[in-house]
Amino acid sequence: MTLRLDPDELAACVSCGLCLPHCPTYRATGEEMLSPRGRIAAMRAVDAGAGIDDAFDRMMQTCVQCRACETACPSAVPFGRLMERTRQELAPRSVPAWQRLGYKALGSHRSLVGLTVLGGAAQRAGLVPHALARRLALPKLPMRQARLVPTGVDVWLFTGCVMDAWQRRVHESSIEVLDALRVGVALPGPGAACCGALHVHAGLHDEAVRLAGRTMGAFPGTAPILVDSAGCGAALKDYGHLLGRAGAAAFSARVFDIHEWIASRADQLPPAIDGAPRRRIAIQDPCHLRHVQRADSHVRTVLRPYGELVELADEGRCCGAGGAYSVLQPELAGLIRTQKVAAISAVEADVVASANPGCSMWLGAAGVPIRHPMEIVADAAGLHRRRWRPGRDRKMSRWLASSGKFGSGWKR
Amino acid sequence: MTTAALVRDLGVALAPDRVRAGALELALYERDASMLTGQASVVCFPTSAGEVSAAVRVCRDHGRPFVPRGSGTGLAGGATPLGQVAPVVIVTTKMNKILEVDSEQRFAWVEPGVLNLDLSTAVAHLGLHFAPDPSSQQSCSVGGNVANNSGGPHCLLYGVTSAHVLAMEVVLADGSVVVLGGIDPEPEGLDLRGAFVGSEGTMGIATRIAVRLTPLPPCVATLLADFSTIHDAAAAVTGVIAAGIIPAALEMMDATIVEVVEAYVHAGFPTDAAAVLLVEVDGLRGGVDVCTSDVEAILKAHGAREVRVAADAAERAAWWKGRKSAFGAIARIAPSYYLHDCVIPRTRLVDVLDEVGRIASSRDLVLGNVFHAGDGNLHPLIVFDRRAPGVLEKVHEAGRKIIETCVAAGGSLSGEHGIGIEKREAMDLVFTEVDLEAQKWLRDAFDPEGRCNPEKILPRGGSRCGDISSLPPGAWV
Repeated sequence: MTLRLDPDELAACVSCGLCLPHCPTYRATGEEMLSPRGRIAAMRAVDAGAGIDDAFDRMMQTCVQCRACETACPSAVPFGRLMERTRQELAPRSVPAWQRLGYKALGSHRSLVGLTVLGGAAQRAGLVPHALARRLALPKLPMRQARLVPTGVDVWLFTGCVMDAWQRRVHESSIEVLDALRVGVALPGPGAACCGALHVHAGLHDEAVRLAGRTMGAFPGTAPILVDSAGCGAALKDYGHLLGRAGAAAFSARVFDIHEWIASRADQLPPAIDGAPRRRIAIQDPCHLRHVQRADSHVRTVLRPYGELVELADEGRCCGAGGAYSVLQPELAGLIRTQKVAAISAVEADVVASANPGCSMWLGAAGVPIRHPMEIVADAAGLHRRRWRPGRDRKMSRWLASSGKFGSGWKR
Repeated sequence: MTTAALVRDLGVALAPDRVRAGALELALYERDASMLTGQASVVCFPTSAGEVSAAVRVCRDHGRPFVPRGSGTGLAGGATPLGQVAPVVIVTTKMNKILEVDSEQRFAWVEPGVLNLDLSTAVAHLGLHFAPDPSSQQSCSVGGNVANNSGGPHCLLYGVTSAHVLAMEVVLADGSVVVLGGIDPEPEGLDLRGAFVGSEGTMGIATRIAVRLTPLPPCVATLLADFSTIHDAAAAVTGVIAAGIIPAALEMMDATIVEVVEAYVHAGFPTDAAAVLLVEVDGLRGGVDVCTSDVEAILKAHGAREVRVAADAAERAAWWKGRKSAFGAIARIAPSYYLHDCVIPRTRLVDVLDEVGRIASSRDLVLGNVFHAGDGNLHPLIVFDRRAPGVLEKVHEAGRKIIETCVAAGGSLSGEHGIGIEKREAMDLVFTEVDLEAQKWLRDAFDPEGRCNPEKILPRGGSRCGDISSLPPGAWV
């Protein structure tokens, strides 16, 4: 069995090793097996007839698919494509039934919300074993959430799966910020329940194509489609390639990361409320915003009026969340997160901004005070004071009340 | 003794999960960033000097050679495992801690797996850096820098690795641990530190290294000059040096290289130039200002079409990123390259570059030049697709001609990449039999049984002048 990879794409790696320090799994272990250079060499070996064994499978499954190696590669090796193609070939042997069931649930918003309520009840009744809770890095699941209200038809807001089920407050903030810019937001129907990003990463190509087709149907017309989840945005922008159709490419051209879209209107953002302390905001770049969408600078443009921006010294290295990665490879993901938390605590920020739900849950579970940039803007500009009630959201009240550092109480 | 027994004993000495012998993993360690392959029997990952020593003792007991390896970014096959029996590869990447930083005496003790750029980043807040800056500095390890006595663009002014290593703790071939050199300005005895730096892993494995830290320059100016002929650019280099100016760095890239790096970094390199020079001057503000205008005048006098000074740190960083990504960007032209590292007298730059260009063009080969022009360290790079029939012979022949040309001009084989496997058979072009014998004695004094990175640097017995196409069996270029 071969992987049927493009020989020219494989040959483009000259093994210089400039990708090594940017790869989260290489950084965590120092092993060629867990490096982009090693993974490409192994792909070449398989396509030259070496055969697929468990060692090869592990090499591929341990890749976070952060694609930092693509940014680092002077020869522009399309590593993400090579890895997606490889995962697709491996999926029949590597993705067990329980995982397929999980991926299936993401595509059905009703079951996801149902499971969320069940999970939330179990959490509150103390029925979720500690080890499982840690492995899943689940936040406290919401039992009830306010319904999102559309405000107009200027732009679409992509709502997605876990983001809408677990972090709807981010969508609320996004709508509030857009409202302040006098931009009316339309909301999609249940067809936009999942972008299929995790399915592409897992190699479940057919399911990804099905979800992509359904998602496209949920956004009729020509209005821009704004996305406040970096991973979803990267996936939607890749539909042209995934489906290989002109219509899909035209759809992808309508997709913008929300910060990317707002950055060109940053002069119209509302000012910070009077007397609010200027906070140190550390920027955590979600990999698919930095390395795939290359839209990381826009987050900074949008946040700059509301605080002092602080850069981490690790050049945007991955945090280990990686969609389902932290669940499927908990040991490596934990090592990677430890390095990220060290980089974050070194800069002594008041709050960490992350534009991706996976990163914020994974780092939040390690005690990092992390918020979505849209929440930070909405807070700082006083856009949702009317909605916010002290004591309802302890983390938010702590953040608003404290003028000092968050740092001391973090778990490592 | 069998490999299974070797794996078992290494597992006891280190930890079973840090000793690997799977076929796929061994294959990943059969080469470094060069294209010369060997064969490893076992790969192991020690985490301390004690474990390195224990691993070396196990190798001795089993009669196995061993090969130290850092990040595997070497370009001459120095970390490629060769030997009568397949060697054990001892990887230092898990030994990556900065152990001690003394900002007053300006030195640091580091483990060999610390990455070069990580060290500079870690001490930047003290206003210090580790001066040797090979183009692979983001990936290469300090241990690898010691092994190859690595250079880098800024070594023109600051000196190569040897000038920045004060002392080392070394595990010798018998497993004993010694310290070579010292923090004191004049350590006692022979300068064994000097002998060890650049020995390419043939005298032992450094497990702790005391490096000198250099203050960051208070003021820096970076100039980018473009020329319509390589000839003019080379003459300008000679002109700068002849004027008595030693810039911090003085680098040349020709049109082939500029095109591929600009496609990667989008730094505003002039893609219509035949050659560009990147010149950096640093020091106190007044001196930098004077030097900048002097250098600019000299470049213009030698035919520079335009001389730009980097507007800010971001532009300077983009230019350097382009320069330091050149080798890695080559696959934008073709997937393979064969690279030389000869150093020639700077006064001969013009005619040697002309001749190297003729060697490539007469064989229809694509040639790129990206190199440390200020110290005459050429990196002529033949770019090709090894899948094309008959191309390897042409590449070999051109490579041999390039070496002969450089040596005939009074040059040497390697400036910074090391001899490794790639250039060992050319050693007798520049060294006499007596020279080589003396080098062998030194090596035997450290490693009498020849177990430390065997078959590297010194030509094998019986080989003769410059026969570089006689690569080891299984090697591919």
